[in-house]
Amino acid sequence: MSSFLAPGTRVCPAGLDPEPPRSVPRLSVRAVGKFFGMHEALHAITFDVRERELVALLGPSGAGKTTLFRCITGLLKPDTGAVHVAGLDVGQLRGRQRRHIAVVFQQFNLVSRLSAIDNVLAGRLGHVSAWRGWSRQFSPADRLLALECLDRVGVLALARQRADTLSGGQQQRVAIARALAQQPDIIIADEPIASLDPNSSAEIMELLRGICHADGVSVVCSLHQLHLATAYADRLIGLANGKLVADLPASRFDDAVAAQVYGGEREAPTPPSASPRHPSPGSPR
Amino acid sequence: MTAVLAFYAASWVLAGVDLEKLATGLPKLWYWIAQAWPPKWDEMPLFLLRMAETVAMAAIGTTVAVVLALPMSLLASRNITPFPRLYVPVRWFLNALRGVDSFVFALLFVAAVGLGPFAGVIGIALHTWGSAAKFFADHLENVNLAPLEAVRTSGAGRFTAILYAIVPDVLPVFASTGLFWWEFNIRASTVLGVVGAGGIGQELKNSMDLLDFSRLFTIIALILVVVTALDQLSSWLRRKLV
Repeated sequence: MSSFLAPGTRVCPAGLDPEPPRSVPRLSVRAVGKFFGMHEALHAITFDVRERELVALLGPSGAGKTTLFRCITGLLKPDTGAVHVAGLDVGQLRGRQRRHIAVVFQQFNLVSRLSAIDNVLAGRLGHVSAWRGWSRQFSPADRLLALECLDRVGVLALARQRADTLSGGQQQRVAIARALAQQPDIIIADEPIASLDPNSSAEIMELLRGICHADGVSVVCSLHQLHLATAYADRLIGLANGKLVADLPASRFDDAVAAQVYGGEREAPTPPSASPRHPSPGSPR
Repeated sequence: MTAVLAFYAASWVLAGVDLEKLATGLPKLWYWIAQAWPPKWDEMPLFLLRMAETVAMAAIGTTVAVVLALPMSLLASRNITPFPRLYVPVRWFLNALRGVDSFVFALLFVAAVGLGPFAGVIGIALHTWGSAAKFFADHLENVNLAPLEAVRTSGAGRFTAILYAIVPDVLPVFASTGLFWWEFNIRASTVLGVVGAGGIGQELKNSMDLLDFSRLFTIIALILVVVTALDQLSSWLRRKLV
């Protein structure tokens, strides 16, 4: 392993994880509940995510997936229960400690006028001193790490290109590289392929699975496409009306479980990419 | 409808519009213009110095204003400000600065710091501060905050995240607007000399007081040439920025 990486580095290069498996689960969600006024958005959600595990979160729109993600990432405080990431209480995470949880967004959320590598280096902001962020002057080790992350997601050649000149699939790869550069314990991917075409979607899922299994970063990923969920995830978790209605290995998923999660619907709703939730100035043209 | 008509009727009277005066006055103007030729070249070095003074006043005033406007615009954007309680007071403060023209500020500061271009610099800086910060803030309130949220989740502090995720997106627009204000302030500050705040306006007023029309029109011609040239330069720079 390259010597310039900090000890404990789990990401890139692939397959060389120096860390022994831990007994503490990477993510532990315990009896999490959330009310919005009288409406119970989440009811006593409990599950664990282990190291090298890719968990797909399924459920119809309005089931509470986004609320659950916001509780996991600490953007929202649950009314009951607690979320721990690598043993740390998410509710207590402040400032740069947030780097333990990386987020991949549906709309990529890159800084459109910055180059791919500068966007990846944003993932280092929780590690370096503030003035390096203000001046965008990173150490050679950080820049090499960023290049490795870009290489890991297959867009090293685009390092100097401005983010808004990249296609949707390429932007999502850069966003994943940014998450990797954070050297997180877990990646939370909020419908990461909802804005992508079928080919790019499969490539991104392949990439997330590779990162999860080879680099040892756990992934929780909300999805609308059941066939991708069963193909790429290790485990599926189903939410319906704010309740956990399914939690099982992907291999055991069948129509009966799908009916439980999606109610009467036989198949998942059609890909929601036709109606992205936010218009994005940086979306592919 | 009647209200609009009444408004215009009242305005017509209050504004003292008198076409008869214009008819008798225009020939006078022609007589002056006839006297304007040939231009006065002998005083050109002085005019050029005063013109340079005007451009310098605008440059310093605009730069100071833009530098002060940047932090102020963060406080004046509802979506970004770290102190929401200050939002309304800051907006009021900026509106006050914007509402008072640089000419009026210069008038006040000539009394405070004495005659000369420095009073003009302060006048330009204060008025442009208000205008620039309001423009920047309005722009920031429409900016896409998703990249900011993304950078925040990587563990960056609030200020670092703003510099990293917002500034690169808005900087070209801000720089381009800054140039536009410099250009605008050069035009505006040609008259600041009238109140004794330095620059070419001083010579303009002197010529008028002496009824020296060839001198007057030489100065006006010089202003036109310099302002046009700098407008071109500024718009070329702005095209390169955006």
